[in-house]
Amino acid sequence: MTSALLSVRDLRASYPGPAGPVQVVHGVDLDLARGEKLALVGESGSGKSVTARAILRLDTDATLSGRVELDGADLLTLPPRRMRAVRGARIGLVFQDPLAALNPVMTIGWQITQPLVIRGVPKKAARRRGVELLARLGVRDAERRFDDYPHQFSGGMRQRVVIAIAVIADPDLLIADEPTTSLDVRVQARVLELLHELTDERDMAVLLITHDLGIVAGFADRAVVMRHGRAVETGPVDDIYRSPRHEYTRALLAAVPRIGGDHTRPLVTIKEGGQ
Amino acid sequence: MGRFLLRRLVTSVVVLAGLAVVTFLMTQVLPGDPARAAAGRNATAEQVAEVRVRLGLDQSLPDQFTGYLGRLLHGDLGTSVFTQRPVLDDVAAMLPASVELVLAAMAINIAVAVPLGVYAAYRRGRAADVAARLITLLGAAVPVFWLGLMLQLVFAAQLRLLPLTGQLAFGQEVPKITGMISLDALLSGNWAAFGDALLHLVLPAVTLAAAFVAVVARTVRSSVITTLDSDYITLARSTGASELRVVVRHGLRNALVPASTILGMQLGWMLGSTVLVEAIFGRTGIGAYAVTAVLQNDLYAVIGTVLVIGVVFVVMNVLVDLVQLWLNPRLRQAGSRERRPEIAVRA
Repeated sequence: MTSALLSVRDLRASYPGPAGPVQVVHGVDLDLARGEKLALVGESGSGKSVTARAILRLDTDATLSGRVELDGADLLTLPPRRMRAVRGARIGLVFQDPLAALNPVMTIGWQITQPLVIRGVPKKAARRRGVELLARLGVRDAERRFDDYPHQFSGGMRQRVVIAIAVIADPDLLIADEPTTSLDVRVQARVLELLHELTDERDMAVLLITHDLGIVAGFADRAVVMRHGRAVETGPVDDIYRSPRHEYTRALLAAVPRIGGDHTRPLVTIKEGGQ
Repeated sequence: MGRFLLRRLVTSVVVLAGLAVVTFLMTQVLPGDPARAAAGRNATAEQVAEVRVRLGLDQSLPDQFTGYLGRLLHGDLGTSVFTQRPVLDDVAAMLPASVELVLAAMAINIAVAVPLGVYAAYRRGRAADVAARLITLLGAAVPVFWLGLMLQLVFAAQLRLLPLTGQLAFGQEVPKITGMISLDALLSGNWAAFGDALLHLVLPAVTLAAAFVAVVARTVRSSVITTLDSDYITLARSTGASELRVVVRHGLRNALVPASTILGMQLGWMLGSTVLVEAIFGRTGIGAYAVTAVLQNDLYAVIGTVLVIGVVFVVMNVLVDLVQLWLNPRLRQAGSRERRPEIAVRA
């Protein structure tokens, strides 16, 4: 790894529980180069979303340890003011559920321009960039729709708004937390395509968090497989597909249903306890 | 949006009709003979009978009710036996002073309860949260008359910071424009009188507000907590917004929707609660008028007061609906079936 943009070492996260702190992430290592696309794969509850939020220190009740270096500076020890300068401007985050992630009482234009406005960009200029970006993301009549509210948008269009909020300030890294899970299949492919094009255009690195191995192959260069809060396998996506080393990765791959496969064969489930 | 407003207006009309029925029934069940009260204490039996016919009290109940309804629609609330003037004129003269008091109390209520609720939500479970809850509960638990007297004792009698009673110091003159003394002073450019009127408002307004702060603070607290847990707040944080901005610009508007419902109803309740406060602080107003009316067995004056407070209540609710239209864009959509209580909760 020549110029690591993001380097995560031994990241641990725990949350307060009824019987003392519960550790959810048990030492994750990640490396991401500039412009690289890395997938963080695992089933629900494997700690992949928590890892993403830990990188941005978004959960106020979480206790974090380890190192999260962005261009060599450790984010975990950054004072709050400097951490805020990282959020949105250097690392953008795309949320899973675009309905819950958008503020119902604010116009989408207001929400899209916030990352710029809070950094002193004049409202007019911010609006122009927002409308441009929204049009680029395939929202028709973007200028007029800028003053609409989230409930006036469909799910796929809302997710484009969420993406616009994450990328408008041109971050170096985009973390996409299950960006297509809540969308229907046709829209999924289009949103993923847009995300790919947009990040290529702007030379953004992407950390794609997903449970869906099906979408990883066409999107990411490398993948990290997570289970029970640990990274169990790391490598180029092709290698992981062709010759998975970890037993869990093999099980995960076997669980992907295939068109043209033997449809009489029951769907595979992953057995617990096979650490 | 149009349909939403129309539905609210229809509801208001139904409520007003109900109010008319209830007040009419009051004339029937309240102790004391209205004819005797109207005729005066020394009237002979013939005079009382004559008044009974004049007031239509000898007719059947349905006839009396239609007559009552017809007079109401013409703005005739009857004549006060005590002041010998139309009740509507009396109430209209008394109402502005009470409205002034209620608005001042509401301003204090909002200024204290909203920041307190937001702060308690932000520091939930910690010392500041508990302290805020204790203080507001204390305010709600203390009887109004006791609180009023204690405030008078400390701030007027002992510290001599604020006037003890009344609405305006001797020697101050304010032309009657709206009937609200502070506003009239302001409109006529009399700054000394304006300041004096405000000083006279402080203690009664605080006394009136005390019981209401706890409810608003608690509503704001719980709705802010719900809001702060939502994804769009995390998203706001992920864009680099400061904590203050996250809470106030991204969160507060959502959180205020349930609070606005409570505040609207409180305006009506406050008007009803002016009774004790105006008595303690020697202010004129609809509360003081109602007390006199009850003590004088002045039936139509009592009913007129109840009616007017009821109408104010209904009007306030329509205003609250307008505020909510502004707060919540989803309600503005034509044919929206959404209802108020679900708004703050995220989908």
